[in-house]
Amino acid sequence: MKNRLRVLRAEREWSQADLADRLSVSRQTVNSIENERYDPSLPLAFAIAKLFQVRIEDVFAPDVEPPPLDLTSST
Amino acid sequence: MEPDGARKPRSDSGALWFVVSVACSLGGVWLANLTFRRYQNPPPGGWYLVLLGVALIFVAGYAAWRLARAGIYSWLLPLAAFCLLRVEPGRAGDVRTWRLEWGVMGLAWTLAAVLVFARLLRRSDELEKRLHLEGAFFGLCVGLVGSVVYALFENRLPELRGQWVAVVLLLSWWVGYLATARRYW
Repeated sequence: MKNRLRVLRAEREWSQADLADRLSVSRQTVNSIENERYDPSLPLAFAIAKLFQVRIEDVFAPDVEPPPLDLTSST
Repeated sequence: MEPDGARKPRSDSGALWFVVSVACSLGGVWLANLTFRRYQNPPPGGWYLVLLGVALIFVAGYAAWRLARAGIYSWLLPLAAFCLLRVEPGRAGDVRTWRLEWGVMGLAWTLAAVLVFARLLRRSDELEKRLHLEGAFFGLCVGLVGSVVYALFENRLPELRGQWVAVVLLLSWWVGYLATARRYW
């Protein structure tokens, strides 16, 4: 899953260790999330969004956009 | 702002404390054996050697504590395997009549170590828990396959000691943890 964690962190001039301390996780976890090697759990994702005061969709985005719903076709 | 790569990687400091703990444990026990075996004819400076041996054992314990304190729980697994290898029930030797007491003490220490490790894991974050879960699963698989293979060739293989099974399980858990960590780190 893609994310803007590194950008958001850089805007506040926080190191990975700073962010890890604020989220009560290890620095390796922050590094793994930023490098898109690990997708955080829902509680952690919400905690990240709350920490940066943004919506969760502004932090995380799926790798592949789901196809748009086709509501016009008749069944 | 501290550069992200400025801090020493946890695995390096974990390896250092592991080596310190193992080396001091080996040195301390060797010195204690050397002096106590020759208590009737102690070597020159015998008591100093005893104190040095005890000090080394304390340093070994301190190094293990530092591993737990730093949250580098993965290195506690090979350390536990090393301790199991060093503590062999068959070494009870002349205290054979105290075999049950030694066994109960060993079981108590083992249970205490398991409870402490479980408590440490409960305090770790979600990624660390996942790594240990996958590592433990790998260790379980290795144990299962190894048990079946041993059962098939039992007649041709040497007698299996209980703590060897525990050592293999712990080490394979650790290997599984490291292999899983490479995917995420």
